[in-house]
Amino acid sequence: MRHSIAIVSLVLFVLSMALLLTLAKQAYIPRKEVRDLAKIYLNTTYNPWNKKFTAMSPEGVTAIVWDYRGLDTVFETAVFYLAIIGSIALARGIGKYSKPTSDEKKLGLSLIVKTVTRITTVSIIAVAVSIALHGHLTPGGGFQGGATAAVAPLLILIAFSQYFLLERGVSKDLMLVIRSLGLAGIGLTAIAAYFIGVAMNKYAFVLQNQAKPLSEVSIPAYIDGQLISGTLWFFNISEFFAVMAGFTIVLILLVIPERAFKSSGGEEK
Amino acid sequence: MYDILTYIGLIMIGVGAIADLLAAIGMNKFWNFYLRLHAATIGTIWGAFVPIIGASLVAIGYEALGPYRWFMAGAGFVTAFLILILAPAGSHALARATHRARIVKVEPCIADHIDESMCVKKGGNK
Repeated sequence: MRHSIAIVSLVLFVLSMALLLTLAKQAYIPRKEVRDLAKIYLNTTYNPWNKKFTAMSPEGVTAIVWDYRGLDTVFETAVFYLAIIGSIALARGIGKYSKPTSDEKKLGLSLIVKTVTRITTVSIIAVAVSIALHGHLTPGGGFQGGATAAVAPLLILIAFSQYFLLERGVSKDLMLVIRSLGLAGIGLTAIAAYFIGVAMNKYAFVLQNQAKPLSEVSIPAYIDGQLISGTLWFFNISEFFAVMAGFTIVLILLVIPERAFKSSGGEEK
Repeated sequence: MYDILTYIGLIMIGVGAIADLLAAIGMNKFWNFYLRLHAATIGTIWGAFVPIIGASLVAIGYEALGPYRWFMAGAGFVTAFLILILAPAGSHALARATHRARIVKVEPCIADHIDESMCVKKGGNK
């Protein structure tokens, strides 16, 4: 009986998807030529011959995220920051708690998993840093790199136990400091062009990257011949640290043992 | 020279396809969780590691790609290495955690040297 229900629902799903695709094909046919909005982005995202209207970044997505609609992304980061603050507020009032045993080898998973984690953690962080630092050149960026880097502490927390991180100084407070520094970096990068404009006695916008027709101030797109796309590189680095530290805070809070809550008695210390 | 690499690579991809089929049959036919975990690992080592190495060899043998074939082969080798070390560690962690938490009994069992009480002999206390 159960099998027949499963088969009937599978067949119904396939048939309805087929019907949907047939109808959708009749209703919407994409145009062959590139649409006008896409044309503008493709023509301006990296265009060194049109200095007044370019983001100087070959990676269109990063250029849109941090340049064309930069203010939007700053607010997104603020929302993420508030979510982290909320989770820290939930876990407030937890006193210090000690290790259950002094035997290091009994904590965490087996030796095989620990060895593999030692190898992969290093490569995960290397990949994450490259995703973040090349965010203006290849697909990726600060958030993606930070989210990838946060997998490394997650693996360590599970394979080695949380005391491994805490004993080596990777605590919630340190991560909060790193996170705040990253956010400060985003804020400073956002107003960098404005302060350059004040110093040069010219008009400049907040969140400005390259020169625009109304304001000639632009953050240098190259450092020593290497393309950094002005503000995008600094935004990506700051966002990388902010997101990596933010996710690590949540992961550290998630693995707090229940007895720590009980021993604090629900009262603030 | 490059032709040989292509043929070796194609053979390895074929071996991977057969191994995946065997692993799928094992996933359906094996009796308990630990044996099915063994079938799943056959699918990741013989069915993913070996064909990825084979695809890298095919990429090296495909001269029309020019120097880019080394990038493809290198990415394939790195991926294969990661699967090679991660798949056994993952299945080991799963089996160890399940056995230590006593969630799944070993059934049918001939001998369980870690914990005799987890061993359910065939025709025993069913």
